Amino acid sequence: MKSNHLKILLCLLWLFMIVLPLLRMLSTMAGLNLFEVMTARKFSRAFWQSLNVSSVATFISVSVAGVLSWAVARTNVKHKQLISTLIIVPMLIPSISHGMGLIIIFGANGVVSKIFGLTGGIYGFWGIVFGSVMYSFPVAYLMLYDILRYEDGTPYEAAEVIGLGAIDRFFAITLPYLRKPLISVIFATFTMIITDYGVPLMIGGKYITLPVMMYQDVIGMLDFGKGSAIGVVLLIPAAVACVLDMVSRDSNRLSFVGKPHAIKDNHARDLVAKVIIFAVIVAIFVPIVAFSVIAFIKKYPVNMAMSFAHAARAFEIGALKYLANSLIIAVAVSLLGTALALFNAYMTARAKTKLSYFLHLMSIVSLAVPGIVLGLSYVMFFKGSMIYGGLVILLVVNITHFFASPYLMAYNTFSKLNENLESVGLIMGISRLSVVRDVILPQSKQTIVKMMSYFFINSMMTISAVSFLSNTFNKPLSLMIPQFEGQMQIECAAFVSLVILGANVMMKILEDFSLKLTR
Amino acid sequence: MINKLAIENVSKSFGNVAVLHDVSFVVRGGEFLSVLGPSGCGKTTLLRILIGLETPDSGKIFKDDADITTLPASMRKMGMVFQNYALFENMTALRNVEYALLKSSALKNSYNRATAREKAEEMLEIVGLEKFFDSKPSQLSGGQQQRVAIARTLALNPDIILFDEPMSALDVDMRLSLRAEIKELAKKFRTTMIYITHDQEEAFAMSDRIAIMNAGKIHQIDTPHNIIESPADEFVENFVIKNINIKINSLIHFQRKS
Repeated sequence: MKSNHLKILLCLLWLFMIVLPLLRMLSTMAGLNLFEVMTARKFSRAFWQSLNVSSVATFISVSVAGVLSWAVARTNVKHKQLISTLIIVPMLIPSISHGMGLIIIFGANGVVSKIFGLTGGIYGFWGIVFGSVMYSFPVAYLMLYDILRYEDGTPYEAAEVIGLGAIDRFFAITLPYLRKPLISVIFATFTMIITDYGVPLMIGGKYITLPVMMYQDVIGMLDFGKGSAIGVVLLIPAAVACVLDMVSRDSNRLSFVGKPHAIKDNHARDLVAKVIIFAVIVAIFVPIVAFSVIAFIKKYPVNMAMSFAHAARAFEIGALKYLANSLIIAVAVSLLGTALALFNAYMTARAKTKLSYFLHLMSIVSLAVPGIVLGLSYVMFFKGSMIYGGLVILLVVNITHFFASPYLMAYNTFSKLNENLESVGLIMGISRLSVVRDVILPQSKQTIVKMMSYFFINSMMTISAVSFLSNTFNKPLSLMIPQFEGQMQIECAAFVSLVILGANVMMKILEDFSLKLTR
Repeated sequence: MINKLAIENVSKSFGNVAVLHDVSFVVRGGEFLSVLGPSGCGKTTLLRILIGLETPDSGKIFKDDADITTLPASMRKMGMVFQNYALFENMTALRNVEYALLKSSALKNSYNRATAREKAEEMLEIVGLEKFFDSKPSQLSGGQQQRVAIARTLALNPDIILFDEPMSALDVDMRLSLRAEIKELAKKFRTTMIYITHDQEEAFAMSDRIAIMNAGKIHQIDTPHNIIESPADEFVENFVIKNINIKINSLIHFQRKS
């Protein structure tokens, strides 16, 4: 009975943290002539442009990730751990910074543009495509790498005994196995790209996408109704991705038996893999190096002398205060979010009642809500409330925005622990709290570390959900990037990106260290 | 012998599914009683009701003539050994036992760190794990893990120990040796034991009496000898006797061949 009360409490919490805000957003569309909004020329152009650019970017992103994950998972290249670590570096900076990296290299005054005499064609369609690929392929890579790594090797051995060739093997075994997870990877990547506004804002130029239009409607014209209509459209791919993900997650579990893939010796193949990996890592680090350099140079390309002027300028207008904001938010989200996710997962995974499934669904709804949509719904729902305008609302929105992944990590870990532990406690008269504290949590240390790191890193770099909720008082550091971009101070924006990267790299190192410590 | 446990007219349903129909029987003090039945016959539910993890929809349970139907599990002075060991994976074998002694509300802090450690060492020695005090469960074999679980259960000095198919995850050799050991412990501690299994051979080799269960009902409860001599009905005959004969025959056949 008591556990049901706690579950009802948690459901109520989610009601206020996600369901009601979304409903509030939907309700602003009531007085709106939806048909008119959707058929307006500006909207339909943004819609098709979003679709085009996201499709192309998704195709490239998943292709690169696929080839790369093959190169790492199915060959005998060395230092696989290090390679994977380097590949996820782009996941440690805001998407908007990737757009910036491209501008520095290929923009009107870009390094490469100057050398080759290009006229800055990077703005617009291709800029968005490449910027989006930059930050999305590591996510696709992580998913595909896991899929390839855990693929059962036995069918391949059987195929070899029968004498099937490489092409037949690919179509008979690999493709059928990959189909379902691949669809969910494609949708997850597509969702990430189509709902992002950092890259198109920075590099899109006149090529307006839906999130950018939504941002302009809300921030520029305070047109909440139109913003909400766009928000609803953006909910669709995310909702589809969420459902697909749940479906393939369940069916995948069955295939996770069997033995790992045996990798044969093949030097030619390994050489190809090495070249691919090297090329990708260079492509990842060139833009990062580019904005690292530009942040500390007087005025590119006129004056190449080293200078801290941009850093100083950033601090002058409050970088330190905003960094403090960011750190406070990130640490608080990391601690509170992890605690809430653990509590929530305990209720759904280990104190199972009929309510558990409902609570489980409530806990992963955020998976289907893009950050900007969540942010907009928070503006409308919490405006005028006590927490509006302070750090607390940013904390709440971030916990909600990033909740699903860490929650699922905890849920999976708790589900795998012996199901009778609490029964043993009941029989022996060991309180549930003791069992949780002394048995369950100690066995979940690694997961807890990963959850905390996930919340921290994402809170440090997010610019989506927080953008509508921030003011000069509570603004996090990441939002200085679009601000500087608007003021054409790309060097300062580069400096801020570097600071965020630094904080997140530190967090990653701390995470690795803690994981080793708790092993 | 006096009746240690009396089960009177116990019924239990989950939703529309009736799992136990009007089950009544007694368990005698110090006896080794097996509850034998095919999977899904309700034996695990019966066990969970006996120990207090579930409450029956109707009927009563008496222990030493006291009604314990709604008594919390921890106050019944009963222990339970699970199929999947249910050890605390983050603790060593010794710590598993020690922790139970220190934290059990039933013992009311009668142990301090030193005495708990001593008792835990003694219990592990009894189950033959004197060399494995500092091993984590993941470093132990299935049989060794189940021994730790038994030591942990025995340490709290229960009147009755319930076993829920404790050997179904073990291989054949391990089963035979653990079987003998459990019998020995039963004798040594004079603890009443209720042993759930679907393995006919196991039940007949270990038990003083066997309760044959199917579809939520007890068909017969008697000594192994009497069950074989005079099975109560067709189900008992089919489920028990034919199965045992098949096993014995195949064993003989196998031995002749090899």
